[in-house]
Amino acid sequence: MIDSTNIKAVLRLENLSLGYDRIIYRDINGSAGYGQMVAVVGANGMGKSTLLRSVAGILKYHAGKIEIEGKSVEDYSSRDLSLKISYVPSQSPRTKNLSLFDMVSAGCYSRSNWLGVIGKEDNEFVRSAIKMVGLEQFTERDSSLLSDGEFQRAAIARSLVQNSTIMLLDEPTAFLDIANRITTVKLLKDIALRENKTIIFSTHDLLQAIKLCDKIWVMGHNNFLEGDPEELIEKGAFDTMFKDSSLRFDPKLFTFL
Amino acid sequence: MTILVLLNLILGSVIIPLKEIFSFFTGGETSKFVQDIMVPYRIPKVITAMLSGVALSVCGLQMQTLFRNPLADPFILGISSGAGLGVAIFVMGFSAFGITISSSFAASIGTALSAWLGAFGVTLLLLAVSSRLRDNSSLLIFGIMLGSVVSAIISLMQYLSSSSALKVFVLWTMGSFSGLNPSQIWVLFILIMCGFALSVYNIKDLNALLTGEAYARSLGVNLESTRRRILIATTLLAGSVTAFCGPIGFIGIAVPHIARMLFKNANHKVLMPSAALLGAAIMVFADTIAQLPGQPGVIPINTVSALIGVPIILMIVLKTRFV
Repeated sequence: MIDSTNIKAVLRLENLSLGYDRIIYRDINGSAGYGQMVAVVGANGMGKSTLLRSVAGILKYHAGKIEIEGKSVEDYSSRDLSLKISYVPSQSPRTKNLSLFDMVSAGCYSRSNWLGVIGKEDNEFVRSAIKMVGLEQFTERDSSLLSDGEFQRAAIARSLVQNSTIMLLDEPTAFLDIANRITTVKLLKDIALRENKTIIFSTHDLLQAIKLCDKIWVMGHNNFLEGDPEELIEKGAFDTMFKDSSLRFDPKLFTFL
Repeated sequence: MTILVLLNLILGSVIIPLKEIFSFFTGGETSKFVQDIMVPYRIPKVITAMLSGVALSVCGLQMQTLFRNPLADPFILGISSGAGLGVAIFVMGFSAFGITISSSFAASIGTALSAWLGAFGVTLLLLAVSSRLRDNSSLLIFGIMLGSVVSAIISLMQYLSSSSALKVFVLWTMGSFSGLNPSQIWVLFILIMCGFALSVYNIKDLNALLTGEAYARSLGVNLESTRRRILIATTLLAGSVTAFCGPIGFIGIAVPHIARMLFKNANHKVLMPSAALLGAAIMVFADTIAQLPGQPGVIPINTVSALIGVPIILMIVLKTRFV
């Protein structure tokens, strides 16, 4: 296992095997440290979403271990797990006439009272999260009318308000144009640095992952590799991403040839 | 609301002047005739209508959120079919075995009880499978299929049963708010208040469900227990109304949408009380029309609720996007 950064691991995957009814990916060994930004890359259907859903505790895994701060995901109560991990699916449902404030304050679920009323501190937390993702002018407006990029940022704000140690995001940029992709990933980087959160997200944008992430998990065609971007380039890890072995990653041109 | 209730009290096969109603409530002089109409008929009926309106609307609202489906309501999940099956077995099954229920009080209690048991049976079945079904749309399909099977069984029973038993059953399916005695109203009131209290308790989780199931789970929502609580509240509300008043359609679908349109707020803290109030008002209104003011006859409440509800449902299907 490669762990070039000496940051203490918050999340550890050991000999993990994933899948729904049958195993689709085996022998995952990886880790993520506090405040690290980790990208998960791999071909379509490789199991990136399955991996994230398993880590989030939404999906049961077949074998191996997923440990958050030394404790297995399966041993956390749903409430305690929500304090450690938040999960943002690639597309969240929109609800008509739900104000952005109400949408984001849903992230305070575990701290609000039985009627879902949030305290004064949380009220300010929600406003600051909305400000951080740059949507403060829309706070009282209907969240379903936001553009795709704005809506994704709103979902990130909601996850931020949950205040978990780790934020998991399943292809947060999948439905966005180039400008919004860059803004969104930069926002994530910003959150990782400023809030010291571990951010793990899946993406198809390898270049952005190489430039901005501390660590990359490569779900290769044959095996799982992890490491910091330069290290992985040297090892030719990205060449294993696709079934077609003639596709090679060119580190100078920064693209596949 | 007050106006609607007053209108409902005034109008009917016999029109009672407003002045008489005021003096009735303020304890003034009223004729024996007015008292004879108000106490056993009009007042129980308007209370039943309000309770049913609240129950069906709050029930429909929760189902629409749980299933993320704008057309979900207590009847789609087969809960009313379950109640119908209960009544069908009671009314037609007993007569087939030559058992006749002589007292009308026993018959009405029996009908209500069997309807409630039927509704509860369906809910238990839904609960049993809900943990096995991965998502809510499969649960919805299961509910619809269950409803169809139950309807088929009822048709078969109708085919085999005597005409008098058939008549009793068909009358029940038309729905009616009249004919409930005070003790029955108390039972209905208590059941609906329990269901409503549980529904209010569900508000927080309903709001969390708006974020989508995957994210709700990551928020720490225990989806299984949430689903269970919503289904129990639904049976308490819809099952009880169906038991006492027959299956009343369309209100459960339509009222939550009217509340959404009027208040433009998807937060259940606003939506639930407004749907409850609107439901009560619309039900009283529907009942007022059903009495055909000035005429001796009564239209089945289901006819009126369909006339009010269907245009709204069509509008939803044609125009609005739910999410």
